[in-house]
Amino acid sequence: MVLTPILTAHWDEADSYKLEGYKRHHGYVALAKALKSDPDSIIQTVKDSGLRGRGGAGFPTGMKWGFVPQNDGKPHYLVVNADESEPGACKDIPLMLANPHALVEGVAISSYAIRANHAFIYIRGEVPHVIRRVTNAVKEAYAAGLLGQNIQGSGFNLEVVVHAGAGAYICGEETALLDSLEGHRGQPRLKPPFPAVAGLYASPTVINNAETIANIPYIIRNGADWLKQWGTEKSPGFKLFAVSGHVKRPGIYEAALGTTMRELLEHAGGMRDGHTLKFWIPGGSSVPMLTEAHLDLPLTYEDMAAAGTMLGTGTPMVFDETTSVVKAVSRWLQFYKHESCGKCTPCREGTYWISGLLKRLEKGEGQETDLEKIDELCQQIMGRSFCALGDAAATPFPGAMKHFRTEFEAGVRTAADIAFDPAATTIFSKANV
Amino acid sequence: MTIDNTPVELVTLTIDDIEVQVPKGTLIIRAAEQLGVQVPRFCDHPLLDPVAACRACLVEIEGQAKPQPSCAMTVAEGMKVRTQVSSVMADEAQKGVMEFLLINHPLDCPVCDKGGECPLQNQAMTNGRGESRFDGEKREFEKPINVSDRERCVSCARCTRFADQVAGDPMIALLERGSQQQVGISDDQPFDSYFSGNTIQICPVGALTSAKYRFRSRPFDLVSVPTTCEHCASGCSLRTDIRRGNVMRRLAWDDPQVNEEWNCDKGRFAFPYVQEGRLNQPLVRGEDGLLHPASWTEAIDVAAKGLAAASGATAVLAGGRHTVEDAYAISKFARAVLGTDDVDFRSRPHSTEETQFLSSVVAGSGLGVTYADLEKAAHVVLVAFEPEDESPMIQLRLRKAVRRGRTKVTAITSHVTSGNKKLNATVIATAAGHEVSALSELALDANTIILVGERAASVTGLLTAATKKAKESGAKLAWVPRRAGDRGAVDAGLLPGLLPNGNSLTDSSAREKAADIWNVENNTLPFAAGRDFGAIVHAAVNGELKALLITSVDVEDTQHSASTLQAIENTPFVVSLEIRPSSITELANVVLPVAVVTEKSGTFIDWEGRPRNFGQAIREHNKLTDGRVLAMIADAMDVLLGQQDVAQLRAELAQFAAPTNRVDAPSHGADVPNGLTLSTWNQLIDDGALQEGEPFLAATSRNVIAGLNSKTAAAHSIAEGDLIEISTSLGSITVEAIFVDGAENTVWLPTNSGESKVRTNLGAAHGNIVTIKRGGGQ
Amino acid sequence: MSRVPQIVRGFWVTFSTMFKKPNTENYPEQKDKYPPKPRFHGRHQLNRHPDGLEKCIGCELCAWACPADAILVEGADNTEEERFSPGERYGRVYQINYLRCIFCGLCIEVCPTRALTMTNEFELADQTRESLIFEKQDLLGPLMPNMVAAPHSMVEGTSERDYYQGKISRATDAQIAEVAARAGINANGQV
Repeated sequence: MVLTPILTAHWDEADSYKLEGYKRHHGYVALAKALKSDPDSIIQTVKDSGLRGRGGAGFPTGMKWGFVPQNDGKPHYLVVNADESEPGACKDIPLMLANPHALVEGVAISSYAIRANHAFIYIRGEVPHVIRRVTNAVKEAYAAGLLGQNIQGSGFNLEVVVHAGAGAYICGEETALLDSLEGHRGQPRLKPPFPAVAGLYASPTVINNAETIANIPYIIRNGADWLKQWGTEKSPGFKLFAVSGHVKRPGIYEAALGTTMRELLEHAGGMRDGHTLKFWIPGGSSVPMLTEAHLDLPLTYEDMAAAGTMLGTGTPMVFDETTSVVKAVSRWLQFYKHESCGKCTPCREGTYWISGLLKRLEKGEGQETDLEKIDELCQQIMGRSFCALGDAAATPFPGAMKHFRTEFEAGVRTAADIAFDPAATTIFSKANV
Repeated sequence: MTIDNTPVELVTLTIDDIEVQVPKGTLIIRAAEQLGVQVPRFCDHPLLDPVAACRACLVEIEGQAKPQPSCAMTVAEGMKVRTQVSSVMADEAQKGVMEFLLINHPLDCPVCDKGGECPLQNQAMTNGRGESRFDGEKREFEKPINVSDRERCVSCARCTRFADQVAGDPMIALLERGSQQQVGISDDQPFDSYFSGNTIQICPVGALTSAKYRFRSRPFDLVSVPTTCEHCASGCSLRTDIRRGNVMRRLAWDDPQVNEEWNCDKGRFAFPYVQEGRLNQPLVRGEDGLLHPASWTEAIDVAAKGLAAASGATAVLAGGRHTVEDAYAISKFARAVLGTDDVDFRSRPHSTEETQFLSSVVAGSGLGVTYADLEKAAHVVLVAFEPEDESPMIQLRLRKAVRRGRTKVTAITSHVTSGNKKLNATVIATAAGHEVSALSELALDANTIILVGERAASVTGLLTAATKKAKESGAKLAWVPRRAGDRGAVDAGLLPGLLPNGNSLTDSSAREKAADIWNVENNTLPFAAGRDFGAIVHAAVNGELKALLITSVDVEDTQHSASTLQAIENTPFVVSLEIRPSSITELANVVLPVAVVTEKSGTFIDWEGRPRNFGQAIREHNKLTDGRVLAMIADAMDVLLGQQDVAQLRAELAQFAAPTNRVDAPSHGADVPNGLTLSTWNQLIDDGALQEGEPFLAATSRNVIAGLNSKTAAAHSIAEGDLIEISTSLGSITVEAIFVDGAENTVWLPTNSGESKVRTNLGAAHGNIVTIKRGGGQ
Repeated sequence: MSRVPQIVRGFWVTFSTMFKKPNTENYPEQKDKYPPKPRFHGRHQLNRHPDGLEKCIGCELCAWACPADAILVEGADNTEEERFSPGERYGRVYQINYLRCIFCGLCIEVCPTRALTMTNEFELADQTRESLIFEKQDLLGPLMPNMVAAPHSMVEGTSERDYYQGKISRATDAQIAEVAARAGINANGQV
């Protein structure tokens, strides 16, 4: 496998985040090309390219754009979801830090395609340096006439607003993000109506992940078929894989979809010395975990689904044998309990209950019936919550039980900190030095 | 009433293998109800937008992998729904959600007011598991305010959605997230609503409880009686809960045609007056000039003799709180027994133009514009009418219509009020007294409804203009009085020159018919139209009257309270029929206690013209209706009227046919005041006599302020927050000035709130000239 | 035997009985001799917490459970000035009508705080109907040592939870002083 540096190609240049640096590598050429063509043809190009959403669900981007009703007399909006808060996911933030203009150009092209004159980039509030970078990039683009009124004489107007979130994981859910953007509490909305029909301010709205939008300029510049040279039929293109955890060189590896985890691990320098892989998660804590047996599976939407998990955000987390799986799952559940918005009962109460049970399991104070109970409670949440957060919260435990049942059973009596030395799993542990 | 003939598109689906046809757009949960399948629910409420938050109503839909919320999903042709009755998936989902709901719900049912009538208790029994598997620590909250127990909350958001969607007062909101989510006070909204009581009623757990009802009773103690609200002309259907002869609470009853499932806080909480400080015994003024308790026989005898002796110089001041049966009995007593047409129910400011308007347009007109019409109208024009204060159910219904986006509201009023804002109304800011030209300039069509309020009476030419405008444009016109008994009083003929059901006294055939029904000689009935309330008071002040019969009149309502009291003092013989001691009973010669609404049956006619019957809730042997008391007096005066019980009066009133010769419609030219005018109306929660004894309710009344336009204020060197003095030749009021977005040259005061007692202190009506100046300090 | 005259046979019964142990219980002279069984359903008692606060919270479950409609309860709010029970709610009115009561014990089964229990006392006959309607003061259990009569505040630094977890053992000096002060004020006729 080879890496495919496209979005990441020039990150090592000192001014990669500036307009100048971006323009040096064909920056904003795609915008000029797009503004001369028919918006529908852009939608068609994106459809033809087979680009799928990089936010987790993998919905075909062109199809999403096609849902927006045209000539309905209502304003249209483009919203970029850059509220990257998934545990283990760190790809949009470096992307926006190093290559914000790809996003800005993508926003301009996408807005033109869906006939939106107003676009919002909703960035996670905890990363002010990224917000600054993107804000400056937008400013630069305005100054260069790449945003604003009558862009490059095309008659197309676009206002772009960079919006900082206020620290809620739920606002990564697209409708909760819209509520938050409108100034309400971030809680998911009832669907239908779907955002493509009645989204932001009850107008047709397209919500795309930041990485998805950053792909757009490259596709427009090089054509639909260009993207298909990578990946599989169902998952064409390349992806930012952010490998983290117990590897020697954690980081972002841009590679074709269909790359295997084993290859990614090699690029990341393999497991840290003297340790072996225990389990890994392909894309954020919300997807079920895999083990060594799955290392040779291609990282595509369809293959991951076939393996009973999901590609998710494409940000593999790798854990070695020093990790207590009980503790890991317990941490994730505490995260979901803390981030549950409270709107629906299964998620609000279920995460409260399960995280409590896991906590006592982690302390070795569990009861024999606890494992069965947690499993049932997860089933009680799965598919019954309002949005995907509940489902996500119900995911880690059954996945972990599938592979590490004995460890959970031991957890009933033995505290995780006794079974697994907490120091050994840290990055500064002696074993690692 | 208009009948909607548009065909309903039906959808066929099966629920638990039973085929059912329901209108398109019906929610699955409602379709299931029609089959008698009760799907559990908490957040679902038929009058609130679906939210699908509680997930208690999950059902299985064939072809869908996950159970779906039946409260948010509409039916589709051929859909196959399986509820807990026939689906293991649905049943398990519901039981699972119920178990989740209960893990953080405290087991304090014994101290909780909702215990025994709690949807959570009930549904935990019907759709929950027998045992909880939860053995951890329950979530706890500090208790900041007495009436909110946040740990009991199941986050269904019914209260917040009601406040936001129905009332338009989003004073409460959900705060925090996850299991810490709780209902709290919105930090950017005023904590002020006339409808907060409804949130208590729709709370499916005991998280919101009533300060008044707290710990007072249990549902099995209560006898519930359907009643009608006596506080305004909205005609709300209520449920009065009684424990051992005492009213414990009142709830809104479901009447989709009128109040839906809501009512206002006044209707809900203002009931202590029915028990506290009542007159329990007849009083007769003795030789010593003091009132002494007397037997009914003695009191009736004194009243009869006094009234008989004053024959030819008697008048009746009736007030607006009567049931139509009692109003009819008074109307009949005045004409048939006292032989006088000096009878009027309008204690508040009124005019001869209004008499004419009511006699010609309103009296006997039956059901006119309805709530349903308001919902369907394209345009509703509010003329001299503030629905939020004067008829809160109209406010809610208009808001519902406006939220649906089909109706627009225009208000001709002195300034933009909070109620107008909630209706998204176009406000035509008009100085009080200048409404005629504003109305005339409006372009209206047949899809319009004009609602005129009671204060239109004090603007010369306004009722004429409204009648004319309606006739010209084809718009519908409705008069919305403020008191529950006003419309009934008009129908009963409690106006000079007006017999029951809109018949004119001066129409000889109508008078003959009346004499026939009343079983009296035709010539005992008065021939000429009598004096109205103001003229009666004027005559009495001048000593022209020998006797007055006064029933349920509050001097605070009358144009100038002092003159009214003077009138009573100057009249040698006064009989007062009252429920509680008042400044009038203090001056009366005979005081006869009468029944309050809970102690009698009867009918209020609401503003639509819809009869709102209600039954007797409490049996009190010593409390008689006005009709019965008057029958006894008549008896003692040798005029036999019969028993005059409610049923008999109702049947008798029904004998009055619709008039053949109607009174002419009013035709008064506008008389525009020249100068700074007073705009005033009664706030919903004010110092009204029937609201006494309820401190929790009084605490929700609005601040007493004078509202005026900033330019007008500047012209009088008044800054916002200054104390200003508003005065007439009769007196003055000093209150704080607040700038409002309104017309120039007019100042608004609440009619009867706190320091602002317009009738007592100014003797002024809406549209009268007043003077303002900066007074007092900051 | 048939030859013995009937009258003699009759007297023989009388005579022989004179030498048997009598079956008669001497009630009420010797009522302690045969006390009722421990679980006999007798007159009710409203119990107190160890510091004298009332256990009844006025929930009316007893009234609800009563098949004879013999119980009437009205709850009310405890205030800081006048506290009768731990927590928010107490029974302001508590009446049991012993003309109606059938001593079935359903009321004590449902009592969530064990405030209502039944004693073994069964002597409940009286002359008037009024006297058989027992009020709260008639039903309240006696003040045991270390208890002071409500109203008074909870033991300082405790919550209702501590009461239900049995952490209160007796009235504290502060509570005793508080009740004494209250009584003193009342005795002087001051408010």
